[in-house]
Amino acid sequence: MTLRLRRRTALLGSLAAPFISRLAAAQTGPIRLGTLTPQTGAGGPYGPPMVKTVQAVVADINAAGGVLGRKIELVSEDDETNPDSAVRAARKLIDVEKVSAIIGTWASAVTTAVAPLCWENKVMLFTVSGADSITKLPHNGYIIRTQPNTYLQSGMAAQFLAKSGAKSVFALSAQTPFAVDSYNRLAEVLAASGAKALGDVIYDPAKTSFRSEIDQALKTKPDALFLNSYTPDLAVILRELYRAGYEGKKFTYGYAANAKLIESVGAEVAEGLISFAPSPDLDSPSYARIKALLGNEPDPYSCQVYDHISLAALAIAKAGAATGSAIHDSVRAVGNRAGSKVTDAVAGLKLLAAGKEVNFEGASGPCKFTALGDIEGCRFRFDVAEKGKYRLLSLI
Amino acid sequence: MENYLLAMAVFAGCYALMALGLNLIFGLAGMVNLGLVGFFAVGAYASALLTVKLHLPMLAGWAAAIALASLLGAAMALITARLRGDYLAIVTLGFSEVIRLAASNEIWLTNGTDGISAIPAPGRGVLSPLLFNLQFVVIVWAVVGLAAWALARLSAAPFGRVLRAIREDDMIAAVAGKRVLAFKVQAFALGAGLLGLAGALYAHFNAYIAPDGFQPLITIYVVLALTAGGTGTMRGAVLGAVLVIALTESTRFFGGVIPWLKPVQFAALREAAIGIALILVLYYRPDGIIPERITPQEPA
Repeated sequence: MTLRLRRRTALLGSLAAPFISRLAAAQTGPIRLGTLTPQTGAGGPYGPPMVKTVQAVVADINAAGGVLGRKIELVSEDDETNPDSAVRAARKLIDVEKVSAIIGTWASAVTTAVAPLCWENKVMLFTVSGADSITKLPHNGYIIRTQPNTYLQSGMAAQFLAKSGAKSVFALSAQTPFAVDSYNRLAEVLAASGAKALGDVIYDPAKTSFRSEIDQALKTKPDALFLNSYTPDLAVILRELYRAGYEGKKFTYGYAANAKLIESVGAEVAEGLISFAPSPDLDSPSYARIKALLGNEPDPYSCQVYDHISLAALAIAKAGAATGSAIHDSVRAVGNRAGSKVTDAVAGLKLLAAGKEVNFEGASGPCKFTALGDIEGCRFRFDVAEKGKYRLLSLI
Repeated sequence: MENYLLAMAVFAGCYALMALGLNLIFGLAGMVNLGLVGFFAVGAYASALLTVKLHLPMLAGWAAAIALASLLGAAMALITARLRGDYLAIVTLGFSEVIRLAASNEIWLTNGTDGISAIPAPGRGVLSPLLFNLQFVVIVWAVVGLAAWALARLSAAPFGRVLRAIREDDMIAAVAGKRVLAFKVQAFALGAGLLGLAGALYAHFNAYIAPDGFQPLITIYVVLALTAGGTGTMRGAVLGAVLVIALTESTRFFGGVIPWLKPVQFAALREAAIGIALILVLYYRPDGIIPERITPQEPA
């Protein structure tokens, strides 16, 4: 009988062991940071390289002696690309693992779901989600986002169009939550650059023909068309423009102009289509480092989380404390334009330890943030479709 | 840690309430319902919109959630009156997807895929997170206890016997003079009401809902919870729900124990482990952990 009891106690003890050790370690010892990325679900292809990148940066920092003499301990959770599961994972990171920052939330719904937990518990949230509404939440500065929002993207597009000599632009937009905002920003920037937005037609992307919309657009004789579309409707529009003999500029988002588009419409119809997308800083040494690590051209999200973990580590060193509010207070101070420019965390930590100011510019871009937590700017790449292939036109 | 455990207890309570609702509809009356998450979403949205947009008190939101979900449940039972088994499963699954897509696209009402945030709850931001969670644990589990007790009474009553008769063979029940459709509608409406209430509780605890949060995965978890716990018994439904949450959550903690696994491998292993555990339960206890026992009535 006593043996049985002892066996049970031992079993219970061994099950509880991981929990107890975690609790004890939370107060002192290593600095704990968390990643919350999609390892499964719709975002599944993006999460694994993101975690791999963060792990590599943490390994570099720890090999160089850590932050404030403490090692960084990384806890990685799977958000399952699902806000319901993500909330439970975030609660574990915050309440059990006691992390001071959560890095890498990808889907906008996931970010919006875990954001209140973060700001209520004073945990910093670094995200790659794009929805404009995220940084408008009452987060008191606990959200930092490296993905450009609609406002920034449409502004960049308008600048490019004006610079390329288009005096008048007409927009055709698929019905999305950001269609109206996007056009308004476009019109604003065009007007400021001496060009003109002629109008916008919002269409139902499920339609199979856009004849009337295109007639309406071409009647205004625009120099350029801004096609705020997705791939399937863009294919239909391009075919109809070709048939209508339109020879002006055609401009669209990078996510719509992919290889599949050219495959479905053919090289001739797609010829001259200009697409743009936020781009990592392709010349940055950090970009090269991630490329070597992952073994292929890194996606923008891996580049962004590289910057997240670096910013978190630098902010902790700058503040001299490893709490979420310390990161919150110092995350902008490590991008001090008067400081020496660094592109990786280890170099930055050395300078900070020597009492110097640093200006961190990472793989995704300069990492300067507005009061709301959005990036002020980032690089954009413009590609043009030529003979059935996309060619890099410019990187600004 | 306590905070986390309390929050998980709240989620387990919501799942338990859903399992109880399903138990009435499927466990007793035998109507397959794979649209659980649709009713859950309707309840969540009803209560969230009334409290956020019209500033009604939370209890009014909960009442509306029950009423609206029940109404939809009754309508669903009427529409599908002649469907059984697989056909009913497909229609109910379709229903839940319709609800999710409507929530994504009717932006004027639901704020689309951005979802509804800052759903109020008494004490949020005022009470410490620990007390806030504790308060919700008490509320949710009081509701679960009450629902389980009431449903157990209902199940033992003549009403429950009729539902079981319909489940076994509705033709015989009809021949015995029972108005089958009326019983089906009542069972479906009552069960859907519980699903709606679970959604409302979840929305106010979580403070944020979005269409993406109402994927069919939740339906599958709840169906698994009921099957593992014991279809037809109320204690089984509650136990199964607790088991599913315990299983999905405890597996998170073994990531650190097996350090050589990459996070993506661990995520896959975790899903596999949850699946295997449920298969084992059903292999060794095919009728669930607490199987239904029907005691024959003594002849009067």
